[in-house]
Amino acid sequence: MNPTLDLLYRLADDQLILGHRNSEWNGLGPILEEDIAFSSMAQDKLGHSLQLYSLLRALGEAEPDTVAFTRNAPQFHCCQLVELPIGEYDFSLTRHFLFDHAELLRFEALATSSYEPLAQVARKLRGELKYHALHANTWMKRLGTATDEAIERMQRSLDFTLPYALGIFEKTDAEAEIISSGLFVGEDELRGRWLESISKVLAQTALEVPDVLALTPVMGGRYGQHTEHLQPLLDEMAEVFRLDPTADW
Amino acid sequence: MIHSHDPRMNRLGLPDAPATAAAKGALDQFGTYEAFHQKKEGAPFVYVGPVHAPEADVAFLFAKEQYSRRFACTGLWVVPTAAITVTDYVGDQEWAYDSLPLLTNQQAAATATADPRFGDDTAAEEAAYAAGEEDYDIFHLKKRGKAHQHVGKVRANSPAQALQVAKAVFGDQRPVVNVWAARSADFLRSDDEDRDIWTTTPDKKYRDAISYKVQDRIERFKAETGTSQAD
Repeated sequence: MNPTLDLLYRLADDQLILGHRNSEWNGLGPILEEDIAFSSMAQDKLGHSLQLYSLLRALGEAEPDTVAFTRNAPQFHCCQLVELPIGEYDFSLTRHFLFDHAELLRFEALATSSYEPLAQVARKLRGELKYHALHANTWMKRLGTATDEAIERMQRSLDFTLPYALGIFEKTDAEAEIISSGLFVGEDELRGRWLESISKVLAQTALEVPDVLALTPVMGGRYGQHTEHLQPLLDEMAEVFRLDPTADW
Repeated sequence: MIHSHDPRMNRLGLPDAPATAAAKGALDQFGTYEAFHQKKEGAPFVYVGPVHAPEADVAFLFAKEQYSRRFACTGLWVVPTAAITVTDYVGDQEWAYDSLPLLTNQQAAATATADPRFGDDTAAEEAAYAAGEEDYDIFHLKKRGKAHQHVGKVRANSPAQALQVAKAVFGDQRPVVNVWAARSADFLRSDDEDRDIWTTTPDKKYRDAISYKVQDRIERFKAETGTSQAD
């Protein structure tokens, strides 16, 4: 695939799927204020996906709604991390923490991308992503130093989620060209920055961080290999759209 | 089990009737913080409402999405509700500062030494801090039903004295139907460099009901299907 399309589809699909997943907490969050904050951020992620799908549209791909709602799981380029069910709140917060650090650093790097339309989107979203990371860090530090139960739950979630989080940085065949053309600094570089960034926060908690780079990453998402959870998510997300794909909302 | 049109609810496997909940103990909820926002640079901070939170950092996270998720915003403060000292509420024709207790001669003398030119004199300021005085933020409510608005800071050795000093410093302001004073040190305030967390907020039209122009379609649907308000 063309390197720009390859990169955009991965970015956009991650945002759409995690945005939808996190929106599943709407109305079910632990307390009202957190429900509103988490739902707002989920909505932000859907907004990010729209901006990225719009860049794809400008490059000749189908309409954002068509791309979002009519593909099946094997046609999605998201990492497997984002498609996992929301689980308990400790898992959703841990995923939010691990993903949003990578997201913030990725868009910081993309702010100087050689593809100017993408660089513009990245610069615009900077402040929004900063709040998302602040939200994740605050809870991680708070719960990671709270009661025995909180620490044990966060530790279990961290141990479970880290191998999936490493799948964020799965490279595609276009990687070399993406780096050489100045589109993006590349997944290995991003992973290094991410590890440093999450480690700084986790060091302020009682949580134990394993040797992350020695873990076996959960790969395949970038090539359309997904968990059994993605297709039901897509069916549910597109249920209304598919009632009448020609309807104007 | 509850069967809902919302698949998320079905996945929860909730029973038809809620189990009888055990009585909750008192104080099993988080405490409250009060939030103030600034709509644009240079504008006074205005009270927007409370949030429940276990600590100031979390209160800030909550207040940001609770009270600044729709319109332009350039700053946000949170302060524990318990840290605010409140005067009596008076009628719209009265002046809230008149409800403060009359000062003893000694108190009056102490208040008179308070420097109304706040922040102008570094040496006096340092002497005051050394003597145990602290900064307080003062908020006025101009009319019942409106929101408290930041009017400035005073230096004092207690909340009660802060209100007395505020009466002297902001005494020319009318109407004032209620006054809040809170130690400046008790506030958590957004940094100027973090103002970009609100950059995209005004663009999020999808968060405003008014952005969904559906009335025409509803009228057309009613005309086409022959339905009316009476149906």
